[in-house]
Amino acid sequence: MTNHWIDIRNADCVLIIGSNAAENHPICMKYVLQAQAKGAKVIHVDPRYSRTSARADMFIRIRTGTDIAFMGGMIYWILEDMRKNPGNYNLQYVQQYTNAAYIVNSGIKLPGDEGQNGLFSVWDSTNSRYDTATWKYADPANATAESKLLTDNWSGWTNRVADEESAWGELNNNCVLKLLWRNYRRYDKATVSKITGIPQEKLEAVYAEYAKTGATGQAGTIMYAMGATQHTYAVQNIRAYSIVQLLLGNMGVAGGGVNALRGTSNVQGSTDQALLEHILPGYLKMTTDVDAHQTLAGYVGNITPAQTNPPADLGGDNPVNWWKNTPKYVHSLLKAWWPSLDPAVSYNYLPKKKASGVNYTHMGLIQAIGEGKVEGLWIWGQNPAAGGPTSLGARDALKKLKWMVASDIWFNETHTFWKRPTTNGIEVNPEDIQTEVFLLPAAGSFEKEGSVSNSGRWVQWRYKAVEPPEEAIPDLDMMIRLFKRIRELYVKEGGAFPDPIVNLGWDYSDEEEADVIAREMNGYALVPGVPKSAGGTYEVGEMIDWFNDLQADGRTSSGNWLHCGQYTKASATDQQNYPELITVVKGIPSINKARKRGNVDTSPSQVGLYPNWSWCWPRNRRIIYNRAAVDLNGNPWDAEHPVLAWNGTTWVGDVVDGGGNPINLAAAGSQNLPFIMNSEGVGKLWGYGLKDGPIPEVYEPWESPISNLMTVQQNDPAAYIGKLVVDGTDWNRRGTVGDFPIIATTYRCTEHWQTGIMTRNLPWLAELMPEMYVEIGEDLANSPELMIKSGDRVKVTSARGSIEALAVVTKRFQAITVDGKITHQVGIPWHWGYAGRVTGDSGNVLTPHVGDANTSIPESKSFLCKVEKA
Amino acid sequence: MAYGVLCDGTRCIGCRACSVACKSWNKNPADIDKKTSVEGGIEGKSVVSDKTFTFMRFKEIGDGDDFKWAFAKIQCMHCLKPGCETACIVGALHRNKHTGAVSYDKGKCIGCRYCMVACPFGIPTYEWEERMPWIRKCTFCSDRLNEAENGMAPACVTACPTRALQFGERGELIEEAHKRIQASKDADPTGVGKYVDHVYGEEEVGGTAWMYISNVDMTELDLPWLSTEPVTKNARTAMSLLPYYATGMLALMAGIYFITKRKQKIAAGKHEEKKG
Repeated sequence: MTNHWIDIRNADCVLIIGSNAAENHPICMKYVLQAQAKGAKVIHVDPRYSRTSARADMFIRIRTGTDIAFMGGMIYWILEDMRKNPGNYNLQYVQQYTNAAYIVNSGIKLPGDEGQNGLFSVWDSTNSRYDTATWKYADPANATAESKLLTDNWSGWTNRVADEESAWGELNNNCVLKLLWRNYRRYDKATVSKITGIPQEKLEAVYAEYAKTGATGQAGTIMYAMGATQHTYAVQNIRAYSIVQLLLGNMGVAGGGVNALRGTSNVQGSTDQALLEHILPGYLKMTTDVDAHQTLAGYVGNITPAQTNPPADLGGDNPVNWWKNTPKYVHSLLKAWWPSLDPAVSYNYLPKKKASGVNYTHMGLIQAIGEGKVEGLWIWGQNPAAGGPTSLGARDALKKLKWMVASDIWFNETHTFWKRPTTNGIEVNPEDIQTEVFLLPAAGSFEKEGSVSNSGRWVQWRYKAVEPPEEAIPDLDMMIRLFKRIRELYVKEGGAFPDPIVNLGWDYSDEEEADVIAREMNGYALVPGVPKSAGGTYEVGEMIDWFNDLQADGRTSSGNWLHCGQYTKASATDQQNYPELITVVKGIPSINKARKRGNVDTSPSQVGLYPNWSWCWPRNRRIIYNRAAVDLNGNPWDAEHPVLAWNGTTWVGDVVDGGGNPINLAAAGSQNLPFIMNSEGVGKLWGYGLKDGPIPEVYEPWESPISNLMTVQQNDPAAYIGKLVVDGTDWNRRGTVGDFPIIATTYRCTEHWQTGIMTRNLPWLAELMPEMYVEIGEDLANSPELMIKSGDRVKVTSARGSIEALAVVTKRFQAITVDGKITHQVGIPWHWGYAGRVTGDSGNVLTPHVGDANTSIPESKSFLCKVEKA
Repeated sequence: MAYGVLCDGTRCIGCRACSVACKSWNKNPADIDKKTSVEGGIEGKSVVSDKTFTFMRFKEIGDGDDFKWAFAKIQCMHCLKPGCETACIVGALHRNKHTGAVSYDKGKCIGCRYCMVACPFGIPTYEWEERMPWIRKCTFCSDRLNEAENGMAPACVTACPTRALQFGERGELIEEAHKRIQASKDADPTGVGKYVDHVYGEEEVGGTAWMYISNVDMTELDLPWLSTEPVTKNARTAMSLLPYYATGMLALMAGIYFITKRKQKIAAGKHEEKKG
């Protein structure tokens, strides 16, 4: 999240899209309802009326997978309303804090341009990817601008009578705002209605309602989750939200932001610590086999972005470009891992993944397993046999493993794949499967100490409440002991390349080292003389105050620069207020701020920052990009809910992003722009760094009932299409609407969690929802072909397989009209499997092995199926 | 100063944390073998039982743009004038005047089940499967209520994430309920607001400790329509007439005895005259 949970209560309008917040993040509804009680409208956009919709003021039923059409329509509506009613918007914000006026490369072509056929410029069909040169700014080093947009006098803003064409016609054809208009004017309400199934009056109503948050001092928050991200164009869905929030001035302000509801309980922590194949801790780019990454210097030079200087007529002149500090983070990370070595040497120990040609994500891994490329698999609290797409294929693939070691608290479908019951005509004979499976009993989350990072980036420390049963131990202890054994073997027997193993810093005891790890993640001064930005120098062994003090020359260590500042020498205030939290580290009284539980909101006007409740990254800054919450003089846009304010000498409120004086009160060269993590310092309406487009464009899901109504390009050209081949059979079969006429979507519910292993084994939860079910609209259920009622058993089939489930016939699904045709959607939870106290068929048997163009997250939310009585 | 709980259907998200908290606090076993029920378009056992003191009722109400999915937590209402207490011939059910909890003492129970008949909400349930069956129902967490002044509330209330359940002094909750309804009307340009203008349990059957406000009429959530007349009124009426019945019957019997005796005497006297 750019903001945080409590901040939601500050919103004037809450847009929940691609999320079922009430069912899957129930605690947050406290804040949503608080906002509502203060008069905020709650809007819920979803294919299905759920427990979230029950609390919403406005429910918009949408065809799954059509967020870009919906949001694109909103972008067009806002652009036109901004032009006709500029007083209703914060034009200064759009001008000064976004790249609206920036001019893009003259070669840029949009999907709707003649001859483009739904593609941006330039699609390289030989290599199946875009050449993105034309997506950059006309001058990437020193951006040029359409100056008319940077004045309040542009006749487009002020001349309400002028028609669209002549108003926009005045602007440079390739400036960002004009490009947005050129693209999204094709997203008129009639077209959007045909694609999404949302009636035009509803579109008008919801666009008008949400756009009210564009007024200066008003804030709207967008809450999203898997409904937005589990698509082949997932990242573009999120880009659409970001564009809307930037146009409405909702970034950096209280009650605003683009807010991902992260997976419980620690998906945020897992991505921060880089449990993903494309990053190193702190979202540093993973090392690959390209030439530039052969040396540390080359790698650092390659991944550290050069800044884009803003146009001369922009107020701010310094983009800050915070990622320029990348060298500090990389060097410090290497020192944390191999403390005895120069980073230039230990850099060579980092594995270099193939830059192209191999997909290392979940689906890619399962595919590699199916092809027999993986000998052993260690799974930590995970369940690919029920949790990943195309379950039947994934389960079959596992037999190719020589061994599997699982750390878990229960036996799950993956551990017992070798004796799974017959389904879909597939009989499994355990004698034919050679995989040796070991289950290491793990301690549950209340049986160990450590931290969990919530969606708001708050690192909240947790304590052990009970001892784990019998032999169960925390994952951390397992890892520590395992590595020690591996290292012993390498020391004794040697190996192909023992150095990275043998030299790894791994000086832990066998137990309860979470606090020590937290210190290492923060980082230390390793030698004397390391300077502090606050003045003076660090003692040797003192923990670093914040990541700016990390050094790019091996004098500091830090396991994860995001956490630098969490665990530091204790200030006098903290020693006074939190004496019980003080630990002496290398002789210095220190404090792990994640342990803090100061429950007084000391923020101005009680906007809910709670700076003393735990610690959040970065630097305990609760709302990121908060410089965008003030005008060029440092005065908050919203006087009632200020995040920051300049009091003449300093900033008051949240930790200011990027430091320095307000733009109008700073010296030349230090007029800091707010979006410091972007190399241009302004928010990116136009984003050139992705694989499938600089701005979102409508494409259909891989399995769709209709042809793309916007262009002839049916699907995202860069979408990841998997091949799950096991013994010659590709399980990733693609269905067509002729065979599979019903749209299917999958989801979670409150009562169960993920693949249900934790919840189907807990009696009090299992009894709330014992049976796997499918939600079917009354109109579909009553159709002559089907004739089913609630309680009947039904069979749902996709091109990948079929499942049986209880039918829940409901009014909460209703047919929609898509491109003039009556279209049905059904809903399938994925919490069941064959392991556990209560069992049922897995929803993921039906889902396809395809994923997002940029991240490969599976497209679990939109595919085709057929429904019949079982 | 008796306690109450206000259930606000416009804050409830149907998450059922209350159900699980109740099970946990009372150490009630789960009822896994039951089949899923699909009333109201969701799963779960939709009745109280010997193992389940509370459950969430889901109802799909209306159609099109007026469609609502409404939720109501169902449990003992802890009536101010409990029918079960009046019906119980041994005093096993008793309302604590300080806390408002209607508690059950199995030490006194004789298993007659008159309480089950008397309850207008159908709450007390019976351990049909046990050899020594007892009545079971929500206790209002009366053990936790002893610590109410230290901030303890019934387990379900404590677990509720959205404060749809609010615990406090009954009179204050009634005020709060009406305030919320009015505030919603004031904030609505049409003046209607999102609530149905009624506090269910304020006066029904003489008032209940557990009360509901919601965006739908509570009878649409299958809570019974009830007059303000307490269930106990029937018992009271019957009992209050008892002295009259007793006296009247006594007088009638005495009168009949007198007349019969007198008739006998006259008959005997006539007989005597005939003889003499």
